[in-house]
Amino acid sequence: MASCGIFRSEDLEPIPGTVRFETALDWDGQAYAVGNIATDEFGHPLRLDNLQMYLAPIEFRSTDGTWTSSDDVFLLDYSENDKYLTLPLPAGTYDAMRFGMGIPSEINTDIDPASYPNDHPLSVLGSAGMFWTWSSGYIFVKYEGKFALESGQQLIEPFSYHCGTDASYRMVTLELASPLEIQRHEVTNARLNLDASMALASETDTINIEVDPVTHNAGGDSLGGRMMDLLVNAWSIEIL
Amino acid sequence: MARYPIPFILSAFAAMVMTGCDRCADPVCDTPDCNPAATPFELDIPPFFPPMDIPQDNPLTEEGIALGRLLFWEKELSADGSMSCGSCHLPEAGFADPNPYSTGITGAQGVRNAMALINIGWAPSYFWDGRAVTLEEQILEPVSHPDEMALPWPDAVDRLQATENDVNAITNYPDLFEVAFTQRSISPELVTKAIAQFLRTMVSANSKFDQWRRGEVSLTDEEFAGYEMFLREGGDPETTPGGQFGADCFHCHGEAGLQFSDYLFRNNGLDSSFAADAGHASVSGNPLDSGRFKTPTLRNIALTGPYMHDGRFNTLEEVIDHYNSGGVPSTTVDPFMKYTTGGLALSTVQKDQLLAFLHTLTDTSFVSSPQFLDPH
Repeated sequence: MASCGIFRSEDLEPIPGTVRFETALDWDGQAYAVGNIATDEFGHPLRLDNLQMYLAPIEFRSTDGTWTSSDDVFLLDYSENDKYLTLPLPAGTYDAMRFGMGIPSEINTDIDPASYPNDHPLSVLGSAGMFWTWSSGYIFVKYEGKFALESGQQLIEPFSYHCGTDASYRMVTLELASPLEIQRHEVTNARLNLDASMALASETDTINIEVDPVTHNAGGDSLGGRMMDLLVNAWSIEIL
Repeated sequence: MARYPIPFILSAFAAMVMTGCDRCADPVCDTPDCNPAATPFELDIPPFFPPMDIPQDNPLTEEGIALGRLLFWEKELSADGSMSCGSCHLPEAGFADPNPYSTGITGAQGVRNAMALINIGWAPSYFWDGRAVTLEEQILEPVSHPDEMALPWPDAVDRLQATENDVNAITNYPDLFEVAFTQRSISPELVTKAIAQFLRTMVSANSKFDQWRRGEVSLTDEEFAGYEMFLREGGDPETTPGGQFGADCFHCHGEAGLQFSDYLFRNNGLDSSFAADAGHASVSGNPLDSGRFKTPTLRNIALTGPYMHDGRFNTLEEVIDHYNSGGVPSTTVDPFMKYTTGGLALSTVQKDQLLAFLHTLTDTSFVSSPQFLDPH
């Protein structure tokens, strides 16, 4: 996980608490890890080799209805061992979380990645493999791997979904089943689940990796937007 | 037709979202081996380049860089006094080795092509497999490696230390170490620090492409067409989803920060099995990294052949033909390789255009710069 930044000064309590998310990955409701073999809706054996995505901003709703916002940009890399996302949060009680999947348009294009410090997730090094060009901006979601046309075959067919452009930016809102209580100086643990199978299938849309194995939608094709729409419903949150 | 660049728009908003990070702080001279009397060296960061992270415990100084240059070219750092670092990193070859494998002092050959030393101060890892994460760590290896310079570090340090009492020695190394690092007692760590300082100053940013980006020159139509192909998705759109008849170079050799490398590890479809060389998997232990090697920079690529981790391609034309073929399938081949759809489908004219563009990345002022050449 990579992030850089702090809360806006107007939101920052003098001594905030911390919320620490374990970023868990599932496949069809079962725990999953990048590199494992799973099966899609069409019966294709597949293996995710690379799953990365930007989240920005991340916001929390207080019980009085106001949203506390972060200027952080987070790059989640599900192939890394560091599976935690940690951010400061003013003490209080929160009943909802929302975040942008991707990079907000204000900072997606026309800013040279070289202008960021090297440990920023939007920098040249921090965004390695996640940046197209200065005019098309960043890859919001990278979902890559191999699949086989039939069970029993070697996984050698590639799939590669790179979703981005301002039109593909999506907001995800998660109502919390139990409130998130943040105490000053204290760390509150939570789990942010992503079901990677739902990037390909829902009740309303399904992507067949045999038919549509690739989108690099810097040009704005529809497949990238479809995957982003599918991903909106792939998240869940649990307060530990 | 003259082709002019579109400069980056450096929005003030970038500064608003940037925040201070400890690792990004300017190096300070507060370690025991940092001499406050040494002259700080301010490295010029070229336009469009990212900042370079200098280790806090090894700030650049004029004296340290000069010492590092002497050590880089010091043949006494090999067992028989015949080889220096520069023996396998030749200036005319973009500070790479023109042979597929470098030959050490015993006649033994390495197993991978010596990497070019170009803008390596920005690299986050070193060697084709990424087994060193700092430049200082990388420099430790070749001196003592039995198939390279084959001089155990204690002996290397002794030789340098002995120059103090050798009336025939041209260089009195303890004197120079004292000026650079406050210490007359030489250690492997100080040697690597000095060489690392020198290598961080080896910045190439004056190719024709750089001059074009700065608005100083124009590209020819052929070069510009090659640049456009560099930035386009590869493949025939009839057979390759998203194909744009491009060369698809930018995904891995992107121009962000003008590094022309993403510094990631990729399997570019050279082989179907990796028994001979597991690549990054030998470091990470992850089978998914089998056959993956670090993306090299394309800067000075016309000079740094032969190509690939094992130097199997002698010419850029062969390299382009490899990518045009789509490469060899395997379980870890990069999805950017078009091995299932017939390759990039570049015509002869397009390949020539791409080649013309790649030649614009040659920086003759870098490879001939007196400040990098053998001072002995």
